[in-house]
Amino acid sequence: MRSDPAEYTFLSPASLAEALDLLRAKPGNWLPVAGGTEVMVQYSAGKLASRNLLSLWGLPELSEIAELEDSFRIGGGCTFAQLREHEAVQRFFPMLATAAAWTGSIANQNRATLAGNIVNASPAADSPPALLAYEAELELISAAGTRRLPYDEFHLGYKKTALRPEELVLAVHLPKHYESWFTYTRKVGSREAQAISKICIAGAGKLKSGSVESLHIGIGAVAPTPLRLRHVESLLLGKPLTKKQIAKSKLVLQDEIAPIEDIRSSVQYRRQVAENLLEDLLLTFALSGEDPLTSSVTALDSWNDLDLLTAAEKILPCCSSVRWADRMANARPIANLDQMLEVADKTWLELSEQDWNEAFRSHPRIGERKAAPVTSQSAAWSRNEQSGAAAASEEIQQALKAGNEAYETRFGRTYIVCATGRSAEEMLLDLHRRLRNTDRTELQEVVEQQRQITRLRLRKWLGL
Amino acid sequence: MNRERLSLKVNGEEHFVETYPMERLLDVLREKLRLTGTKEGCGEGECGACSVLIDGKLVNSCLVPVAQVRGAEIITIEGLASEELLHPVQIAFLECGGAQCGMCTPGMIVATACLLKRHPHPTEEQIREGLNGNLCRCTGYMRIFQAVSMAAATESV
Repeated sequence: MRSDPAEYTFLSPASLAEALDLLRAKPGNWLPVAGGTEVMVQYSAGKLASRNLLSLWGLPELSEIAELEDSFRIGGGCTFAQLREHEAVQRFFPMLATAAAWTGSIANQNRATLAGNIVNASPAADSPPALLAYEAELELISAAGTRRLPYDEFHLGYKKTALRPEELVLAVHLPKHYESWFTYTRKVGSREAQAISKICIAGAGKLKSGSVESLHIGIGAVAPTPLRLRHVESLLLGKPLTKKQIAKSKLVLQDEIAPIEDIRSSVQYRRQVAENLLEDLLLTFALSGEDPLTSSVTALDSWNDLDLLTAAEKILPCCSSVRWADRMANARPIANLDQMLEVADKTWLELSEQDWNEAFRSHPRIGERKAAPVTSQSAAWSRNEQSGAAAASEEIQQALKAGNEAYETRFGRTYIVCATGRSAEEMLLDLHRRLRNTDRTELQEVVEQQRQITRLRLRKWLGL
Repeated sequence: MNRERLSLKVNGEEHFVETYPMERLLDVLREKLRLTGTKEGCGEGECGACSVLIDGKLVNSCLVPVAQVRGAEIITIEGLASEELLHPVQIAFLECGGAQCGMCTPGMIVATACLLKRHPHPTEEQIREGLNGNLCRCTGYMRIFQAVSMAAATESV
């Protein structure tokens, strides 16, 4: 049955202070409503328990995003549209921007607010896992003043929270230091848009010498509240991410979660998907390791363990031929670096000219940053490898540019050289020498250059 | 609670309505202002049939208490065409056969107009995302997507 609007009181206070006074006068009497994407659904269905609504929509005190010294303060009234489009949110808290883009449709994102999502306390909401992983702190306000509460302590049980009847969520504080952390977030739902999560996970972590230095994981739709995986985290803390550890963590996960059966999924399904997502998170985390000594064994180990497609995807930045990457993935398991380099060389040399060209195309011109490399990793490596050219004088850069153009006219592809450790002058000499090559000789040379680049990249990738 | 006299700016015109503040914007538009182009589909913000623009932003009017749009600029499907001239998006939907039963069409067109304001030359992904809150149970969407691409190609922005 549709609700009768005549039965509802609806006040629109002009300021936050006025709203807080109303809440203080009759705590528990008012149901705050912002964008209405939750409250109005219940209202339309005739299921809204409260008859007295207090509109917070458009109160400027609630919708600011402010940069503080060590953190960002995000107003509770910020909409998901605002969050996903905000530059600082994208840069410092990409998982929150992603969660905002996952929430409902564009029309819903234009109205739904962060605080609304928090106080609505759905265990399947998309933003809580990210907030847990970033160790968000809530700033709650009442007419008596404000108090701070770690977000992790906000949810007390199914739809039960620590919010007092006279309080509102004023803002969410997120520390800035996560900008440099590894992050991973993924949602599984029945459709990319609109659908409520079956499972949603978010993790932020740091590795040191191949071991887990910090790790926070939030997960949704597996318990009566959004859940921080404290037991999984403490199992992994201080240890390297070996296959064994990851297997153990899946067992701990199963003890830590308590999913229910509902119209979206069965218990069995949720347990399996939660396990898969945790595993994917940890494998990706392990591969993100930069420290050469210990993480390398794990990196190769983890890569050997991936499914075929993912393994090919992960190795592709080392040499951007899809067929090469596929064959490398098929050649697994690979025992060590020596074997990896041997297989990589052999696979590369056996490819067709067409495949070679595909790999060549991913390189930016020497001295230029603009290119369309297949992956961001490959772009970052190119920048690093070509640092010699970037440091050269204007004159040399011009000569390189002209040389590049001559080379492209002559051979129909970009000039490629294994640039690591070479100065711009050396590269220029090499370029001029190679311009005199026949097609056949030059093809052999460029194949050899790519082989060397791939070997260096494989070492970097594996940290060896 | 008693009815209140509210002023609403719809399609560039100011209207005064006697209404309860909790009345849904959708009902006020359809029943008080007789702007019945805006449709009610699901009534819970899932289908987009009731899409309108509030201050240029795409919104489901079934989820908006009318008291919250005081002073805002509302555009409905009736406000897109000018006098005799259809909006380029409407022309494209006609040309491509982007409608069958017509129930979702006003919402689709409002959402498309909004999408093309933000992305005058949208990628397919942007089109799919821009319309992901608008459900159509007849067309299978392909002709709708074609219409959006056509509108993007013809509209002078």
